[in-house]
Amino acid sequence: MTPGTSSSLAVQRGLLGGLILILAWEGLARGLALPSYVLPAVSEIIWSIWTSRSLLAEAATYTLAEAVIGYVLGCLIGIGLAVFITMIPVTRMVLLPLATAVNSVPVVAYSPLILLWFGMGIASKIVMVAMAVSFTVFLSTLAGLDRVDRRSVDLMRSFGAGRVGILWRLRLPTALPLMLSGMRVATVRSVIVAIVTEMLGAYGGIGWVIFQAVLKIDFVQVWSAIFVASAASLLFFGLVGLAERKILFWK
Amino acid sequence: MAAPKAGSAARAQWMARAGGLGRLVLGLAIAALVWEGSVLLFGIRPHYLPKLSTILQAIATTPKPYVDGFLRTLAETLIGFVAGGAFGIAMGIVFFRVRALREMVFPIFIVSQTIPVIAFGALVVLWFGNTLLAKAVIAFYLTFFPVAVNTLLGLESVDRQQVALMRSFGASRWQLLARLQFPTALPHIFVALRLASSLSLVGAIVGEWFGDTTGLGVLLLQAMYNENVVSIWATLLVSALLGTGFYAVVAAAERRLVFWGAEQ
Repeated sequence: MTPGTSSSLAVQRGLLGGLILILAWEGLARGLALPSYVLPAVSEIIWSIWTSRSLLAEAATYTLAEAVIGYVLGCLIGIGLAVFITMIPVTRMVLLPLATAVNSVPVVAYSPLILLWFGMGIASKIVMVAMAVSFTVFLSTLAGLDRVDRRSVDLMRSFGAGRVGILWRLRLPTALPLMLSGMRVATVRSVIVAIVTEMLGAYGGIGWVIFQAVLKIDFVQVWSAIFVASAASLLFFGLVGLAERKILFWK
Repeated sequence: MAAPKAGSAARAQWMARAGGLGRLVLGLAIAALVWEGSVLLFGIRPHYLPKLSTILQAIATTPKPYVDGFLRTLAETLIGFVAGGAFGIAMGIVFFRVRALREMVFPIFIVSQTIPVIAFGALVVLWFGNTLLAKAVIAFYLTFFPVAVNTLLGLESVDRQQVALMRSFGASRWQLLARLQFPTALPHIFVALRLASSLSLVGAIVGEWFGDTTGLGVLLLQAMYNENVVSIWATLLVSALLGTGFYAVVAAAERRLVFWGAEQ
């Protein structure tokens, strides 16, 4: 069996699994006439997404904007910090324990504090996402930069390469696979953190829609917001994964 | 002459441990001094960062909510962690054995992880009420996936030749799993369990935001509504204590069980 046929079989089985889940869900919800606060039917949820599409699209754009801006900032901070520590090794002794200490508290626990500091608007969500993303990217980039073979560094040095030259031509390319996989993992996190922060206080976004729907006990709406959020995360994840494969063309 | 040798080895180990503890205490003391000093030196407003002494005083004057919150959140975290870890390992083994099932269910698991935990939390709280169980279910939901993935990865990393060797000695599938495949997977599983220890705490704290009376998440939310920054920082410190303590216990269990060398 060639890898091609086995992976297409895997895709078929994956689709089959999804189909079975949807059918079982629909059948359970309709067959047992479950009330919507237990489990609304899939068709009902999809219909609700269609009827409230303008509201959901607006909320998704709001949330994605927060997530993407925070994500870009977080990646820049994470990579910058990792490069800084590698270039000036003395700072590692201070910055690494500090980062570990900050990270010993789950990121979401900071959101009340960040909301107090930055207000209910978009700024607090961007800060939260940037915090969550930067730590993941920082750790994976640092692991990548540290993975460089000692002998390659010595070789480049013997040819007269400076710190910057070694960083640009050796360390960064070596670190790239780990760095990019950290960035891919961080995508889903960024959307989730944006939504979590929105629920504690916001003027718009998916998290705000979910919170409103919970207050109104409109559980079909909660589910449709979940579907939209999940689709948005997958889209973001897919795009970054695609970019990763383009950049790492040699893999 | 084996006994004194073993004694001295144990002593060396004890010394190393005491040394590690000493360094930890020293590091904490330095961090505390830097915190206190920089707040005084740079005149940071208490709205951003209160003095460490103020925060500790706040905990000392009314310790009850913090202790109760700590215990409650610890219980939620532990139940979710144990259930999620056990379910994750079981699913990893099942996926390893039944390829078709893995290909059918695994994509669904992946999609399930893109659901924002808080939205899922809203549903869980609705299904189970504002109970300890609901928070544990949320912690479970965040925990099981990484454990299942790493269990599967670990089981698949087993050397085929070793499997063939054990088969040739007439080992049953069960023996193969218990004696070879599971021990080989254990380092991978523990990497996921360490990650899961932090994730289960996230689940517990977020779960408490849906309304409850005790717990660290509740304290955070109340402090936010009262704009009480000192109380937020105090709760963050207690959460850090809980998170790091739990992580350390899991890491210690790892050193015990995977004595032949842990994977980083």
